[in-house]
Amino acid sequence: MISPRTLGNLRREFRSSALAKLGVLIVVVVVGVAVLAPMFAPHDPTTQNLDRSQLPPVGFSTTTNSTSTEMVNGSLEVINETNEINATLTYPLGTDSLGRGMLSRVIYGARTSLLVGLLGTILAAVVGVSVGLVAGYYRGRVDDTLMRSADVMLAFPSLVLAIALVGLWGRAAWRVPDPLVVAGITPEMPASFVLPGTVIVVVGLVNWVWFARVARGEALSVREQSYVKAARSVGASNSFIIRRHILPNSATPILVLGTIQVAAIILLESALSFLGFSGTTLSWGFDIARGRDYLASSWWISTVPGIAIVLSVIGINLLGDWLRDALDPGIGGEGGSGGA
Amino acid sequence: MSNGTRETIGRRRYLQAAGAAAFAASLAGCSGGGGSGGDGGGSGGGTTTSGANASAGNETGTGTSIENPQTRGEYLQVANRFSHDQAPWIFLNRQYSVYGVANTVEWEARRDERIDGYAVVPSGGKETVTITQSQMDSGLDPHDHRETPTDNIVLQAYEGLLSRDAQGEIVPELASEYERIEPGRVRFRIREGPTFHSGDPLTPEDVAFSINRIVDDEVGGLVSPQSDQLAGVTGAEVVDGERAVDVTSDGINPIVFSLFASYCDVMQQSWVQSNDGPYINTHMNGTGPFRLANYQEGVQVVYERAPNYWQDPAPAAGLTIRSADESSTRVNQLLGGETDLAVNVPPQDVNRIRDSGSAGISPAPSTRVLFNAMRHDVEPFSSPEFRRAMNLAIDLDSIVENVLSGFADATGQPTLEGFSGFNPQVDPYPQNVGKAEQLVEESGQAGAQLTLHTPVGRYLKDVEIAQAVANQIDQLSNVSCSVEQREFSALAEEITTGKIEDKPPFYLIGWGNATFDASQTIVPLLASNGELTTFSSERLDSLMNEAGSLPGDQESG
Amino acid sequence: MALGRFVLKRALQGIVVVWGVVTVVFGLRFITPGNPISVIAPLDASPETRQAIARELGLNDPLYVQYLDYLLGLLQGDMGYSYISNTQASAQVFARLPATLELAVVATIVAVVISIPLGVLSATRRNEPADYGATLFSLAGISTPNFWLGIMLVLVFAVQLEIFKTSGRGPGFVSALSMLVTQGSAAGLLSWLSYITLPALALGTYFTALITRLTRSGMLDELGSAYVKAVRAKGLPETLVRYKHALRNTLVPVITVLGLQLGTLIGGAVITEAVFDWPGLGTLVITSITARDWPILQGSLVVIGVGFVLINIAVDTLYAYVNPQVVYE
Repeated sequence: MISPRTLGNLRREFRSSALAKLGVLIVVVVVGVAVLAPMFAPHDPTTQNLDRSQLPPVGFSTTTNSTSTEMVNGSLEVINETNEINATLTYPLGTDSLGRGMLSRVIYGARTSLLVGLLGTILAAVVGVSVGLVAGYYRGRVDDTLMRSADVMLAFPSLVLAIALVGLWGRAAWRVPDPLVVAGITPEMPASFVLPGTVIVVVGLVNWVWFARVARGEALSVREQSYVKAARSVGASNSFIIRRHILPNSATPILVLGTIQVAAIILLESALSFLGFSGTTLSWGFDIARGRDYLASSWWISTVPGIAIVLSVIGINLLGDWLRDALDPGIGGEGGSGGA
Repeated sequence: MSNGTRETIGRRRYLQAAGAAAFAASLAGCSGGGGSGGDGGGSGGGTTTSGANASAGNETGTGTSIENPQTRGEYLQVANRFSHDQAPWIFLNRQYSVYGVANTVEWEARRDERIDGYAVVPSGGKETVTITQSQMDSGLDPHDHRETPTDNIVLQAYEGLLSRDAQGEIVPELASEYERIEPGRVRFRIREGPTFHSGDPLTPEDVAFSINRIVDDEVGGLVSPQSDQLAGVTGAEVVDGERAVDVTSDGINPIVFSLFASYCDVMQQSWVQSNDGPYINTHMNGTGPFRLANYQEGVQVVYERAPNYWQDPAPAAGLTIRSADESSTRVNQLLGGETDLAVNVPPQDVNRIRDSGSAGISPAPSTRVLFNAMRHDVEPFSSPEFRRAMNLAIDLDSIVENVLSGFADATGQPTLEGFSGFNPQVDPYPQNVGKAEQLVEESGQAGAQLTLHTPVGRYLKDVEIAQAVANQIDQLSNVSCSVEQREFSALAEEITTGKIEDKPPFYLIGWGNATFDASQTIVPLLASNGELTTFSSERLDSLMNEAGSLPGDQESG
Repeated sequence: MALGRFVLKRALQGIVVVWGVVTVVFGLRFITPGNPISVIAPLDASPETRQAIARELGLNDPLYVQYLDYLLGLLQGDMGYSYISNTQASAQVFARLPATLELAVVATIVAVVISIPLGVLSATRRNEPADYGATLFSLAGISTPNFWLGIMLVLVFAVQLEIFKTSGRGPGFVSALSMLVTQGSAAGLLSWLSYITLPALALGTYFTALITRLTRSGMLDELGSAYVKAVRAKGLPETLVRYKHALRNTLVPVITVLGLQLGTLIGGAVITEAVFDWPGLGTLVITSITARDWPILQGSLVVIGVGFVLINIAVDTLYAYVNPQVVYE
């Protein structure tokens, strides 16, 4: 499927482009951190430490006022105290309102984002490519029906549809055992990881249209090629032709689109979590929403996960740019639904 | 008024006034019963107050300080002691209402979460007042809703027969006098003078119609969701030849005046009957100090001072109520001068507002209690030992201090301090991890895995509280616990079907009770036939039945 | 003539799509767990009351009857009555529409005004600092979640610097404009700007970045094309070459992508509205989902869907007008 010429293109483009190198670097780091999260995270991201809440990141020690109320002689008094809040190396990026380390949460949040991004994209690709290939290969009424339904899907902004579906169907989540913890390498970390099931299904379902469009276009052009016509004339079955000839030809544009879609779905997931439509609390978007209540006192709770999103998505987009420039799939490369 | 470092809230004054009689009764009960509740068995491990230790060690709740309850208040106190011992809930905190108030207006927070625009006084040449709530109304029909945000929007234009002052004491409003005629019948004399915004004078017929519209599905073209707010009331009729209305109840209905002080807005019969639902839900015609000027559904409600109000005209010429569901947005609006009064200021923003110099804080303990319900019909919660263990696992003081920054009170019984029926002998459960683990072992439920369902963003810090609770239970060596976050509407749907088996086994919820009476918490939530119950006990049912057959404490007029 | 037939064909397709949208919106309720009656009925309603409500709403009718009722209702502009407030759903939905349109239009204008010059600059100064700056900006722009950007903008420009309002819509453009016309006062417009600037920036940044990227790569392609080389060889001034010929050809794919990305714009508007408490369709969708207020949710989705189809037909028509060969596709 990957010809030596393609590999050569990839290598040449990579060597000449600093941005491509940066993109690959970021993606490798993010993926590594996500996979090995239990080893990188200094603390269990769900363990609370109410005595150490709202600690600032290193370098941002501050003085703040705290308020409490107390019963004094039968009347309620409000007491103000001024406290020095010192950052500590134990929590390099500070802690949230429940004393959980932001660094650990950002590291585990990478897992949620990447898993939802990858699984959602795979689901969207499987559905979209199937629909697109069938529509483009058979044309006629099948094509019309499938593409009109794609148009109907497009008429609902993906975020709106995703909110509606997650909000209405509920926020089912699966607990997946963490292999590193099960293997006993990092026993102090959470034994299982929450995979937001509804969200994965929904982001897949609202994004298949882009894959369908690209796959259909490829099928339309490939079906007229002489070797496909030849295969048909010797009696090859339709499904054989689709699998053997048309699918491999669509691989390149689908790969490039898939990369961009991972970035788009990560943004979509963060938007859903931000609005509270998610099945897990270990998510960048969720932390941004929680931290919003503390913006004035503890800005880092919202800021740190936001920066994590921006950096990861930049990395994936750079990777996508590199693949597009090297492989030249001719899809313009801006399909997809980001911007959430 | 907010620049000092210490400020005193007149809590003691409130306690004396709100249900003054009830408070006196509960004190009497205490001295009558003798001991202070420290007579329980296993009071070993605790470090705090004696009452809590007693109950923690008790199997059957013999630590009751009132042996032979006589009055309604005493029955309710015994019921609260019994509830504490049986631990049908993990008792959490009483919520506070914390408001941000711009220096451009004067206003004091009330106990019942209501904001009466009539009590907001603009200063410094300012004519109009803007209030930012967390939500907008669900339509303007005063009989077709049950939430505080809608309440606050309709009460500016509509009035009831009775009302409460800022301390929670019952005061007359559209009724000038009220009295009990016979056990199941009370009489309200209707004031002369109030007129509806349509210009027509208030009549006793309007009052009777309004009451019947709530309690009778056949009246007024509406199945009102407020019928249980007038619990026990069966109907109302005009007294022949007098400017008075008689209200009949099932049984003695001891809290009937309490109910009318919190609920039942009076509408004009002819106006309701000549308009359809959508019209009534987008227009207002009450007797209140403000009348509707402009209604943008879900966006804002604009009022103007009603010209011929029967009392002194409202201090503000105009009033606007808006909403922002994010607390940070409300605070930003307040500090940016975009609003004068912001509801539900979160603890972490209190200092920011104080330090701004342009606004202050007005807090008040609310009538809402937060708790984790545990369904008594499923394992492991069928065991009272296990339920007590859950209460002992929690460090409630730390949650109050760290999660809620002290803007909360720890609770140990269903009823809040200051309510009729509150039992001052009962203290919150202290944290005692060793004892909790031991009770779990005794209950035979070791190894239980719990999932705590919590609404997201419905109550102040709900998710944080649930996560702290689950975390502390999880720290027990023989129980594990995780949190499941739920959309409030979905959770509420399961809780309100009327069938216990539809409810999640373990969930966090809040209960507001604006009647200031224990029965309106215990009966719906803990009695066997309660609408939202997760508990069942013959003893509690009989205590509440006894209490329901005795006259109440606030019967004056 | 050919263009007319094209528009007619697209309109017919559009009607089919709208029908599909309505069907999906209608069907959503039946693949969702939970009974609508529990939203409407009081907690303590008797079974008889629940039955009466079900009858009144026609929930006991066969599915196809409910479906036809809904379709017929929509044709007459009737979206039913809110489950929560019992008011006309259509009134509520259309009351919110102008706010969303206003936000989307302003964001688009901001995006187009900034991005196209920036893209051209970037392409004509390739590998110079200006190009790097623009590339970096556009990369960050398409990678930043707009809700987070919105929060940060509020933190800096509304809370710290107090230049703009933190939330809300203020008077709206129409009343601000009428204030200018009738009273000759610009105060309304200034107030309008203080409300709309931050949400428009938060929403528009992604599109600014996207169009900058498209314009840049399109311009680079065009400037290297044989056609532009030929024009240049004729001795036309470079500015004319760049802006008249190269840019015009670049705009064709830009328009297409903009049409395709319209859904993203509306989706982005939803979450931007949530951040800024902008009283538009987006906040209405979110509150109606939370409250399970089906008529409002369905009405909003239908309006969004129909609006999307209409704008797409307009974009396609514009595209066909600029680029006639698509008509013979």
